Amino acid sequence: MAELSVSVNGELTAAQVDPRTLLSDYLRDHLGLTGTHVGCEHGYCGACTVLVDGASVRSCLTLAVQADGRSVDTVESLASNGELHPIQQAFKECHGLQCGFCTPGLLMSVLELAATNPGCGRDEIREHLSGNVCRCTGYHHIVDAVEAALNSVREQGDGS
Amino acid sequence: MAADQAPRYFGARVARRQDDRLLRGDGRYVADISPAGVLAAKFVRSDEAHAVVAGIDIEAASVAEGVKEVFVGEDFADNEIRCVSSYAGFQESAQPILALDRVRHVGEALAMVVADNEYVAEDAAELVVADLEPLPAAVDIDTALDVGCAPLHPGWRDNAFVRRRATTYGFNEASSSAPHRVSIELHNGRHSGVPIETRACVAEHDPGTGRFRLHTTTQIPHLIRAGLSWALGVPESLIQVIAPDVGGGFGIKAQLYPEEVACCLAARRLSRPVKWVEDRREHFVAAHHSREHRHSVTGYFDDDGTILALEADIAVDMGAYSVFPWTATMDGGMAMGILPGPYRIHEYSVSSTSVCTNKTPYGAYRGVARPAACFSIERLMDQIARHLGVDRVEIRNRNLLADGDYPWRSPSGLIYDSGSLVESLDAVLALGDLEGLLKRQADARTAGRLVGVGLAVFTEQTAHTTQEFKQRGVPIVFGYETAKVRLDASGTAVVSASIHDHGQGLETTLAQVAADRLGLDLEQIRVEYGDTEQVAYGAGTFASRSAVLAGGAVTKAADAVADTLRQVAAHMLEAAPEDMVVETGRVSVAGSPSQFLETTELCRLIYQRPERLPEGVEPHLEASRTYDAHPGTGAYTNAAHLASVEIDPLTGKTRVLSYAVVEDCGPMINPTIVEGQIFGGVAQGVGSALFEEFLYDEAGQPLSTTFADYLVPVMSDIPDFQVAHLQTPSPHTIGGLKGMGEGGAIAPGAVIASAVEDALSHLVGTVTVDRLPLTPERVLGYIDAANGNGTGP
Ligand code: FES
Ligand code: FES
Repeated sequence: MAELSVSVNGELTAAQVDPRTLLSDYLRDHLGLTGTHVGCEHGYCGACTVLVDGASVRSCLTLAVQADGRSVDTVESLASNGELHPIQQAFKECHGLQCGFCTPGLLMSVLELAATNPGCGRDEIREHLSGNVCRCTGYHHIVDAVEAALNSVREQGDGS
Repeated sequence: MAADQAPRYFGARVARRQDDRLLRGDGRYVADISPAGVLAAKFVRSDEAHAVVAGIDIEAASVAEGVKEVFVGEDFADNEIRCVSSYAGFQESAQPILALDRVRHVGEALAMVVADNEYVAEDAAELVVADLEPLPAAVDIDTALDVGCAPLHPGWRDNAFVRRRATTYGFNEASSSAPHRVSIELHNGRHSGVPIETRACVAEHDPGTGRFRLHTTTQIPHLIRAGLSWALGVPESLIQVIAPDVGGGFGIKAQLYPEEVACCLAARRLSRPVKWVEDRREHFVAAHHSREHRHSVTGYFDDDGTILALEADIAVDMGAYSVFPWTATMDGGMAMGILPGPYRIHEYSVSSTSVCTNKTPYGAYRGVARPAACFSIERLMDQIARHLGVDRVEIRNRNLLADGDYPWRSPSGLIYDSGSLVESLDAVLALGDLEGLLKRQADARTAGRLVGVGLAVFTEQTAHTTQEFKQRGVPIVFGYETAKVRLDASGTAVVSASIHDHGQGLETTLAQVAADRLGLDLEQIRVEYGDTEQVAYGAGTFASRSAVLAGGAVTKAADAVADTLRQVAAHMLEAAPEDMVVETGRVSVAGSPSQFLETTELCRLIYQRPERLPEGVEPHLEASRTYDAHPGTGAYTNAAHLASVEIDPLTGKTRVLSYAVVEDCGPMINPTIVEGQIFGGVAQGVGSALFEEFLYDEAGQPLSTTFADYLVPVMSDIPDFQVAHLQTPSPHTIGGLKGMGEGGAIAPGAVIASAVEDALSHLVGTVTVDRLPLTPERVLGYIDAANGNGTGP
């Protein structure tokens, strides 16, 4: 068993885990944060994407102990005071989700994109987000949603 | 009767009701459900395609720490999945829950380890040793049908589940007197829906009452209950099936699977909940495959290109077992029916063979046989155009059904109710800017680049019910869907529907329908589905029928409830019920809007002041109705697609540059949702056309078992779409609705093949693109063939 202490969505969590425990399993099974989904467990689909110290990682390819002493953000961190995050709002308004299974991982990738490259256009959005597979939407409405989300993030940035 | 107000929600692009919870991560998918005391299951699967099971050593696994039990075939020998078609000559297969004396495909489950958690179960599964004695495997259609190939199931004559044939009366004469004929053999790769959520289930059994509860990733909860009842030998009243949020289905989750039966049986044996979450590798070898068709088609036509007769021989590689509830005949039958497509073809001769092979069993996938049928007829049209030197659009216009042709009885006996084929083709050429595409193509060619334009037109049977399924020889004839509408004393409504929503947005569209009929706000309506204890019997969601059938059932049930509102309001206002109008939030007297009762007031009165009700009115606001879209032959949606592609001559990689769709699915409840369905379908179709294939080697070993070798389209593979709608109502359905969930996925194979052929057409020799997917290696093969090197792909 390994000692683990990791901040998840701003709260410190501590546990004894089997060292082989995946971060995705730690979040889902130990902490009950089932918003993070697992679609392939081999690092391809991106459904399990979370941010570790602000950078996106595949939680299915990351051991929980690798996050020791770090800070993890999951989809559950996005909405605040009951209000959807602007990225979530954009996905809702643009019909950027159907079954919703790929959505949490995608939202976290978009959050990273908004922080690192908020000015990118449709083609760049497609390149950046090609690590998140969606089987339902055909992507068009997702690109609409990301465009709208980046716009509103930029506007907020300008305003502050 | 006085007319109610115009709809507020029908036709509106309202945002989806379910999105908030899904966006917050509050969705509740099967893998998220863990009842107290739950155990984890892991299946040990065959790594041989065809073998005698000489023995399975579970000794070490059974005593491993944390393991509760290891089950093998004999433990569940009283149970099996059997789905028998009523077609003459159908040969039955019995699919064991865990393999008995034989395995018939790689991925077939041999043993089931149940343990404290998934990690322990997976470790223990590694300790199970199966002694398999390999047998020759029948991995393709020709090998399986060869007279020298031993039948894969006991007592069989050969390896055809069924062979069928049909010929119209005048076929021989029409074909023999035709001045021209063109033949082509077409191959569709084996692939499937591959939802991002894999399969999963959680089984519970209550020893006290004998009741089972199964949470499972399914599109068809009631049919799963029926299938489980057969497989378990337990009446349906003791089985509850719940499909909560489901992460995409596309048909793959519309079959009963052995794992669902196994988890129920294990939960009963162990008196503990048993949970199984499929891993992706299992999904590729054990979740049902689809799409692998081979069609030989011949078109007979006159000097103008008018088709005089059509001949087709269809073979479908159905894998090892007949699946519940569709049987192993669905794809072959569907292809026979729809192959003549949108064209005015009178004479038709068709045969079809559903072939049993040592591959993963074959189930439904979005479009069911229609993508292959569209690929065949549209490829044939392109070849006829080339043969006569006529333009591809022109040859279609000469043969497409026109407005005056409806209702059209196709040579396979389908009744096309309505459509706008010529108009949709015309419209897509404008929307996708054919002229501009051709200009850019000419410029690209001058620059030495390979750019092509492709198109296809199709008609799609949707919302077909009893009449259609009766003819398909399935053991359960599905048709109708059911909806219950209940208004409560606080004036809010619950709609319970027998369909399932796993992305299609029915939670929203059915609320739109109900809100209009009841004069309520969308927020006042909750839609529930997925739990067999909660909603009335119905088939579920598949075959582009849920909005039409559940929408119709909701309309009927809501109208019945609205009638009670009218009756009571009329009584209170001393007016005639037929003069009452349902408006937003109130029921008023036609022509005197100041005379009204608020709906909430009426609701409270009906439940809580029964003494004030008129005689004969019961104090409740609830109605359940079924709807089957009589006559059940289907509402025909049509569409035309136009795309352009560019091929990299060095790598053979094809890139889709533009894609336009004009679709006519009649009136739309929510156009945004319709467009989302079209886009999603087209992207899956692009996957079918360019990337996706379950490859096997000669020994029956699957070569595509991770996302690294089974490629699905990612965001950079798919262009922005252009979409426009026509709205020809169906004469057969409430509101004129037609289904459209599958349509997007039907044409892309045909469109992209046409575009690739066009891109290569100015090279030295012509090539005929006859095979999907068009992977870079295949395209390089076509380029070599066109340049006069090599023999093609
Ligand atoms: S589940 Fe981690 S990448 Fe697919
Ligand atoms: S919304 Fe279903 S996988 Fe993306």
